Amino acid sequence: MKVNHLSFSYNHQSYMKDINIQFKDQKTTTIIGPNGSGKSTLLMLLSRIYKIQQGSIELDNKNIWDYKIKEFARKVAVVHQKNQVYGDLNVRTIIGYGRLPYLNYHQSLSKEDKQIIDWAIEVTNLKEHQNKMLNSLSGGQQQRVWIALALAQKTPILLLDEPTTYLDIKAQIETLNLLRKINKEYQITIIMVHHDINQAIHYSDEIIAMKNGQLMFQGKPHEVINQKTLKEVYDYDLNVIKNNEELFVLNYQ
Amino acid sequence: MKIIKKNPLLFILGLMIILGICFFLAINIGSIKVSFIQLMKGLFIEYNKDVASIYQIRFPRVIVTMLVGCALALSGLLFQVVLKNPLADPGLIGISAGANIVSLLVGIFLPDLYVFKPMITCLGGLVTFIIIYSLSWKSGLNTTRIILVGVAIHYTMNAIVSLIESMSASISSSVGTITLYSWNDVFLLMIYIVPILIILLFLTQACDLLGLEDRTLLSLGINVNTYRFILSLLAVLLCSISVAIAGILSFVGLLVPHLARLCVGNQHKYLIPTTALCGAIILLVADTIGRTLMAPYEISAGIIMSMIGGPIFILLLKRSLYES
Repeated sequence: MKVNHLSFSYNHQSYMKDINIQFKDQKTTTIIGPNGSGKSTLLMLLSRIYKIQQGSIELDNKNIWDYKIKEFARKVAVVHQKNQVYGDLNVRTIIGYGRLPYLNYHQSLSKEDKQIIDWAIEVTNLKEHQNKMLNSLSGGQQQRVWIALALAQKTPILLLDEPTTYLDIKAQIETLNLLRKINKEYQITIIMVHHDINQAIHYSDEIIAMKNGQLMFQGKPHEVINQKTLKEVYDYDLNVIKNNEELFVLNYQ
Repeated sequence: MKIIKKNPLLFILGLMIILGICFFLAINIGSIKVSFIQLMKGLFIEYNKDVASIYQIRFPRVIVTMLVGCALALSGLLFQVVLKNPLADPGLIGISAGANIVSLLVGIFLPDLYVFKPMITCLGGLVTFIIIYSLSWKSGLNTTRIILVGVAIHYTMNAIVSLIESMSASISSSVGTITLYSWNDVFLLMIYIVPILIILLFLTQACDLLGLEDRTLLSLGINVNTYRFILSLLAVLLCSISVAIAGILSFVGLLVPHLARLCVGNQHKYLIPTTALCGAIILLVADTIGRTLMAPYEISAGIIMSMIGGPIFILLLKRSLYES
């Protein structure tokens, strides 16, 4: 995916100013930045939730808005931050919705669709939960359901908006490990917005930092993350420790 | 409740049988009484004076009541689905009142247009809905706003209704009385409601999907607004048609869908038939009680609905809270 001269404003307030980004295929890219930096806006623009006002976003050398809505859903899957569904649907039914981009209205699932759903359930380790109701699962398990739904779309690109926000630490790590597996084993390009800098460093191939609707830097984590760049982005002095090629940002003082 | 949830189809069959029984009871309750055999004989074999008057007076009333109950309940369900708000009810958010204004005006100024009255009334309902929708749309559907705007519109529209009524000295239509109906009313309702019911059976998946967040649906390649437009249109039509024939009946659209949901859950392939049948049964029972309780005087079905329905609804809600 490629972003060209993208600008976005809403209610006379500018949220994005002339941004250019080239996302690397089959890598995990994480967008970080303080609140109001425009990182979520960027994700909404990438996922066609917001209409583009100026500039363009290209996917396979074609403007994303030139795709038909279903065509686009076969290229890009999105896991949104807020998800809801009638609580008494079972997990398998919900994951099955991931096949909708390939079906006509009221068309039932083919054998191939069912195999793909099985695969998505397998990858996200939900086999024993597939017949349970969604609201009987834990937060981490529910998040895996939404990721499985996105996987069932069989897209080359997966976008996620703060996938670990409401989760406890165990579920956070499990979710991020799952995303790494999806990226490495199935070569799915992952672009996500994430709050935790340490997790972003650890789990990403590339980091993009934003502030006030502008791109601050983009690159491999240990090339771009240091005290000086973080100060520029977050307006705060954060200690960065290097230990055996591993980077740690101390988020306490 | 759990047994019902496991066998929703059997439950729906049960409801059909209950509706059948209620139908025969309602036909037979009143100043004229005939036995079942007499009724059948009178209807199909030989002329019977009593059966003939039952056929002319009570049959239309009972059938109209069932159809209106069914339409209002479904309308409420669809509004709840489309607006993602459990409080959405065509009466509460002012759609009925908007339709009522037009219905009254047609009755006063263009009484000859009887056959087209439901259609023209629908325009009133649609305009009201568009007003509510556009006022509560602020970069997305805000469900709280819809109720607030709806309630405000509801009061405004009701005031206009009262104004029209006091200026025209016509009988009040806003209390929801189902009184004298002819077979013409039955056919008129049928023409509009039956096709909508059939269409709805094909839209169960759309209703299920609207339970997801709009953003999720967009990412699944689904045109949410098309779904929402079609379902809202049907909801407005169902409600306006009922208003055109039977006036305003509150509470059916709110109570029945919740009741049905408690029984069969949120899968719309079961929920839609259950809601339709429950709506018919409940309004029929309320109307029958209303006309027998203090015969020969009548209590409107709307009042009975609210009086019995309210407490039952609270009881059911409490029970379902305990269960979960």
